[in-house]
Amino acid sequence: MFALRSDLPLRGGGSGRFVGSLVMVLVFIAAFAVTVSAYVGALIGDWNRGVSGTLTVQVPVAAGSASDAQVAKALDVLSRHPAVAGATLVPRAKVDELLKPWIGDGVMSDLPLPALIDVEMRDAAPAAVAAVEASVKAAAPAAVIDDHRVWLDRVAGLARGIGAVAAAIIVLVTAALALTIIFATRASLTEFAQVIEILHVVGAKDGYVAGQFARRALVQAFLGGVAGLALYAPALGFVAILASRVDPEILPAVHLPPLHWAALALLPAVAGILAMLSANITVRRALSSKV
Amino acid sequence: MSPGPQAEKKSPGDTKGASSDTLSLNGVGLQYDDGPEVLADVSLTIPARSFYFLTGPSGAGKTSLLSLMYLAKRPTRGNVILFGENVTEAKRGRLAMLRRRLGVVFQDFRLLDHMTAFDNVALPLRVAGVAPNVVQRDVTELLKWVGLEDEMGKHPAALSGGQQQRVAIARAVVNRPKFILADEPTGNVDDVIALRLMLLFVEMHKIGSSVIIATHNHSLVERFAFPRLHLADGVVTQIPAGE
Repeated sequence: MFALRSDLPLRGGGSGRFVGSLVMVLVFIAAFAVTVSAYVGALIGDWNRGVSGTLTVQVPVAAGSASDAQVAKALDVLSRHPAVAGATLVPRAKVDELLKPWIGDGVMSDLPLPALIDVEMRDAAPAAVAAVEASVKAAAPAAVIDDHRVWLDRVAGLARGIGAVAAAIIVLVTAALALTIIFATRASLTEFAQVIEILHVVGAKDGYVAGQFARRALVQAFLGGVAGLALYAPALGFVAILASRVDPEILPAVHLPPLHWAALALLPAVAGILAMLSANITVRRALSSKV
Repeated sequence: MSPGPQAEKKSPGDTKGASSDTLSLNGVGLQYDDGPEVLADVSLTIPARSFYFLTGPSGAGKTSLLSLMYLAKRPTRGNVILFGENVTEAKRGRLAMLRRRLGVVFQDFRLLDHMTAFDNVALPLRVAGVAPNVVQRDVTELLKWVGLEDEMGKHPAALSGGQQQRVAIARAVVNRPKFILADEPTGNVDDVIALRLMLLFVEMHKIGSSVIIATHNHSLVERFAFPRLHLADGVVTQIPAGE
C-alpha cells in the first residue's frame, strides 16, 4: 500500500474522470474493431476450408435432351480424370434448397436452372484445374467451370480490406488514447506546478514525479478500459443474438477464435500500459526543460 | 562562534579549495530574461557548520541568491560549487541528489495542502526512498520536538500560522541537511514564535548544519550574534557578528 501512495493530489483532479470516460469509449471502439477483424478472418477461414480442393461444373439448360447428354459426358470425363477424386451431380432438390433463401420458393419450379456437378479435386494445383477444365470443355462445350478460388480470392480481398480498416481504427484509437493522456498530463503538470516544485526542492528526481503521473494514468486507463469492455460485452451479445436469427445460408455461424477473446481481455491492460508510458514520457520531457 | 563568510574575488570556474561541505559562489551573476542582473559578480564561500543572516533591503535579491543556493536556479554567469561539485552545469538528476542534503524554508511555508502535517514532514524522506518504519520514527520524533505531536494528522489549513511554520521547518530539517536555507522564516509569526524557531535553527547548527537565514527582523539579528551577508545593489558584503 505504501508504494501506491501519491504525493500529488491527482485523485481529486478533474482530468481523472475525463480520462477514464474517454478510455472507456476508446476501448469500446477498439473492442468492436477487434471483433470485426476476428469475425471476418474466421468467416474467410471457414469458406476457405469449405471450398478448398473443389470445383463446380455448371451445365446450362439446352433444348431437348442435349443438356442431359452433356451432363453425362462431363461426369464421365471427370470420373476418369486423374486429378479428380470424385464428381457428383447435385440433385435438383438440393439446388432449390440452396437458392431458396435468396429468391424464395414461389417461382423455383419454373426456373431453368443449370445442372451442377460438385467436383472434389485430388490435385488442386492451377495446372491440374486447367487440365480438368479443358477435358470437360472438350466433352461438354457449354459447360462452365467455376473455380471457387477466383471468387474466394475476391472475397478474401474484401476481408483483408475490412481487416485493414479495423487495424486502422485500432491505430487511431491508440493515437487518440496517447494524445488524451498527453494533454491531460500537461494540464495536470500546470495544475500541480507548485506541488512539483516542492517535490524538486526536497530532492525528487524527474523519474519520481513522472512515476506518480504514470501510475495514476495506468489506473485510470485500466479502469476506463474495464468499463469499456463491460459496456461492450452486452453489445456483442445483442449483435450475436441478432446474427443467430439470420439464415445460416446467408450468414454462416462463425466461432470466434480464442485469440479474439484473449485480445479483448487484454485491451484494458494494453490501454493502461500505453497511458502509463505516455504520461511518463510527457512528464519527463516537460520537466527536462526546467532547471 | 562559527567561522565568518569569506567574500572573495575568484575567476569563474575556479573550484580549487572547495571542501566537501562548503557552498561557494564564484563570480556569479543572475539575470531574469533580458532584464538587468539582480546579482552581479557575487563571490563568497560558506564554510561547513556556519550560521549567517542574509540581510538587505527589499528587492535586493535575497530570495534570488537563496534560490541559487538551493539549486532552484542556475546562474547566468559564474559558478556555484556545492559539496565540492560545480553544480552550474550539473545534470538534473545530480541536482536532485544534492538537494536532498539541503533544507529549505520558505516565507510562505509552501506546505502541501492535500497532505497532513506528518506527510508534509515525511516528504523528503519518502522522496529519498527511506524505509517506512524509519520515516514513521523520525517524523514522529521531529514533530514532537517542534511541539506538534498532537497536530500530526491535521492538514495545513487546520493549523495556525506558527504551527504551519514549524511544520515547514520540520520538513526542512528532517533529512538532517548539511545546509539549511531559510527565506524570512519568522516573517509571518509573532516574536515569541520567532524566537522559538530561531532556537530550532540554532539547535540544528549545533548538531552540524550550516544555516543561512534571510531576514528583515533586526531584533533577531541583534539578539543572535551571527555574522551577516548583506546584499545590496547585487553585491554581497560580509559584516562580522555584532556589527
